[in-house]
Amino acid sequence: MLYREAGQFKSSYGADEAIFPIRQDRWLFAAALIVAYVVVPLIASEYWLLSILIPFLVFSLAAIGLNILTGYAGQVSLGTGGFMAVGAFATYKLATSFPDLNIVVVFILAGLITAMVGVLFGWPSLRIKGFYLAVATLAAQFFLIWMFNKFPWFNNYTPSGVISAPPRAVFGHVFVTGAEANSVDKYLFVLSAVTLLALAAKNLVRGRVGREWMAIRDMDIAAEIIGIRPLKTKLLAFAISSFYCGIAGAMWAFIYTGGVEALAFDIDRSFQILFMIIIGGLGSILGSFLGAAFIVLLPLLLERTPMALGFDVPVNYLSNMQSMIFGALIIFFLIVEPRGLARLWQIGKEKLRMWPFPY
Amino acid sequence: MEIVAFLHALLVEPFVAMWQNPEFLLEVAIGGLLTGVMYSLVALGFVLIYKASGVFNFAQGTMVLFAALTFVGLLERGFPVWASFLLTALAMIAMAFVIERLVLRPLVNQDPIILFMATIGLTYFLEGFGQIVWGGDVHPLDIGIPKSPLIIGGVLINEFDLVAAAVCGVLVTVLAVFFQRTAIGRALRAVADDHQAALSVGIPLKNIWVIVWAVAGIVGLVAGILWGSNLGVQFSISLVALKALPVLILGGFTSVPGAIVGGLIIGVGEKVAEVFWTPATGGAIEDWFAYALALVFLLIRPQGLFGERIIERV
Amino acid sequence: MAAAKRIGEPVLEVRDITLSFGGVRALLDVSLEIRAREILAIIGPNGAGKTSMLNVINGFYHPQEGTIAYKGRVRQRMRPHEAAEQGIARTFQNVALFRGMTTLDNIMTGRLLKMRRNFLWQTIHWGPALAEELEHRVFAERIIDFLEIESIRRTPVGQLPYGLQKRVELGRALAMEPELLLLDEPMAGMNVEEKEDMSRFILDVNDEFGTTIALIEHDMGVVMDISDRVVVLDYGRKIADGSPDQVRRDTAVIDAYLGVAHEA
Repeated sequence: MLYREAGQFKSSYGADEAIFPIRQDRWLFAAALIVAYVVVPLIASEYWLLSILIPFLVFSLAAIGLNILTGYAGQVSLGTGGFMAVGAFATYKLATSFPDLNIVVVFILAGLITAMVGVLFGWPSLRIKGFYLAVATLAAQFFLIWMFNKFPWFNNYTPSGVISAPPRAVFGHVFVTGAEANSVDKYLFVLSAVTLLALAAKNLVRGRVGREWMAIRDMDIAAEIIGIRPLKTKLLAFAISSFYCGIAGAMWAFIYTGGVEALAFDIDRSFQILFMIIIGGLGSILGSFLGAAFIVLLPLLLERTPMALGFDVPVNYLSNMQSMIFGALIIFFLIVEPRGLARLWQIGKEKLRMWPFPY
Repeated sequence: MEIVAFLHALLVEPFVAMWQNPEFLLEVAIGGLLTGVMYSLVALGFVLIYKASGVFNFAQGTMVLFAALTFVGLLERGFPVWASFLLTALAMIAMAFVIERLVLRPLVNQDPIILFMATIGLTYFLEGFGQIVWGGDVHPLDIGIPKSPLIIGGVLINEFDLVAAAVCGVLVTVLAVFFQRTAIGRALRAVADDHQAALSVGIPLKNIWVIVWAVAGIVGLVAGILWGSNLGVQFSISLVALKALPVLILGGFTSVPGAIVGGLIIGVGEKVAEVFWTPATGGAIEDWFAYALALVFLLIRPQGLFGERIIERV
Repeated sequence: MAAAKRIGEPVLEVRDITLSFGGVRALLDVSLEIRAREILAIIGPNGAGKTSMLNVINGFYHPQEGTIAYKGRVRQRMRPHEAAEQGIARTFQNVALFRGMTTLDNIMTGRLLKMRRNFLWQTIHWGPALAEELEHRVFAERIIDFLEIESIRRTPVGQLPYGLQKRVELGRALAMEPELLLLDEPMAGMNVEEKEDMSRFILDVNDEFGTTIALIEHDMGVVMDISDRVVVLDYGRKIADGSPDQVRRDTAVIDAYLGVAHEA
């Protein structure tokens, strides 16, 4: 009975085009924000913040990036890991070359550099489509990782090849990277960035740009005939998608792990992000979050369950078992709801609106 | 100055080295052929499935691994070579049935990308399953393929490479006959051309899918035995699949001759690049060279080596 | 027809177009003109080259020979999006909608060319960007009203029946406020009632907005009723060009086309 839109009339197209046209959804969103910004920092343990919530947020950002390109603009990419690596290494080079530069500026610049790299590798998308393009993006993946491994200039000639985050602060004294950084500060910093960028993405995809992307995705010939320039539209998708992936990579390296080598962004990372958007929902910003949460939590669950049930399973057996269950779950999900968790959420809401009258 | 030296090392020196020692170039190229045959076989399994069902089967490499693991596992348990081969082939056929029933049938009429994702799920499943059943160690495999080096016309060639090439040739011939001369082959070609039309003249699509997946599995078995005889059966076999993808770009997703020729080009090109360009690039360019080659090629000829030109209609 | 006097100068002149694919000639030496504010019907048996003609006009195919002058400017090669920028909109024989998007979003895509705010404005969806969005939303809603498709505003078009999809596609083309509207079999596969609706929409568009319309249609009754002028193609050649009455009496047309239709 709580979830009703009866009596809420929209008197302008502006109200009709709000992100949350139904009042209860607005409350829910506000409550989620309060929990995320106020309650979580008060009660969450170090472990939850550092090992679950921060990676979840960083993954969500990368998933939004890939969803823009694949879910909205319809260009399948298997190069997400490579673009995240560009963001991470660009941040490292910028932060170490210009120690006085504010870390926020560094992140944004790294995102812009990644966007340029994305445009470069997106260029073939004008001539090649579908799976041919997907394979072509693998070229970006392998080439970029090879490059960061091969040329020690990128890691400032450290013998291990690991780039580690120097301490940097926002507002003068609140450290968000480096060993001194407090986990709550790190969490709030990532959360703010993700909130802003997710809102921006949502606004993009429901406006002109988003419609252009979806038009190209659904039928590129018809899109061209109504005046959309295919190359420009696709390259903008590559640029913005890479911007998000680059910032996600930067935060992965600088805030989540504090130090990575290029291999942290190998092909498996690309697949992981792709799984997130498929399971969460292609063409859905909310789905990016749901998919990221699923992929972050599932391995934990698979790891903990046998222990909780009192089984003592050898480690290699466990990891094989996990990859089996993981694979089977992916297939199961695709069969049950190919449009992902976001679609299930939507169906749930529809049901709730109608409840208790099914028609 | 540094950049000039680099460009010289990149653009001039490798060709000079090739020119000065053509025998060595030929040896390197032939050395790349075996890898090329492997790529061809993996790509071949892929093309069969793509042609008949429109599924981009990412699990092809893992099917090779799974087949090789099963084969070597049976050998280690005392089965003779022929029995192991037969039993593994049967296992691959059974797997095709299970995949059709549990994965493909429920997903029929979904977007290609959804099916593609399902095969990635299948990849994870098979990797875990294969290693739980047969163990994750490196299994040495020796079924008596000769490996001694031969000198033919002043060029060093490994006997093993010749055997591999011969096996590949026989396999492709058998497949060609199967496709061109049998009723099943005709049905397969009809399905590849147009699913709906094939269905409407009464070709059972389900059976066709089982058949192509089974054939792709058996092609994978052959590839796995060859690869395993050379380097042992181990997890990294499944990574060959990643190298087979540029082969597909080069040859076209639907062309059998494209898969063979593309595989050989990539195998040879990769080896030559690795040997002659290492001084300029610092090595390990095998990781991406195949992709770069395929990509450059694609920009010139988007439909691949043997693909048909697509005329867009509205 | 009384409306004949409002028809103006030719807006589009096609001169001696020849188009072939490999060895197959789709169009041979065809010339025709489309005059301002008229409804021109292009008819002919299957494979006569009607759709190829539309494809040539909006830049999807490039003819080997001949020229096209649109609003007095002779065109060389042109991409379809350039045609759109110059005010040519069209619909397709097999509906070419964006199936994953709602009716409203599909119609809004017709407004894309008129939206100017760049993506940075879009990210905040506020101020000028929001004002622009709402302004075009108002226009889209007018079209939705006009075509009587209010109830399916939020439905993904992939789920709509064929007749409604055709209507949405017309809506998307209208949203572009085209000067020249090309309709490829707008009534194919419709029942009588739907055809009547569609005919009324076409006449209204022509009447209210003064849009020039060129359409391909197989239903002779509809063609004779709504068009000002008829061009007949057969095997890639133009065999007749005139008012519906003239064409109806043309012996070449009767031989090639109508005669066959009568026997059937």
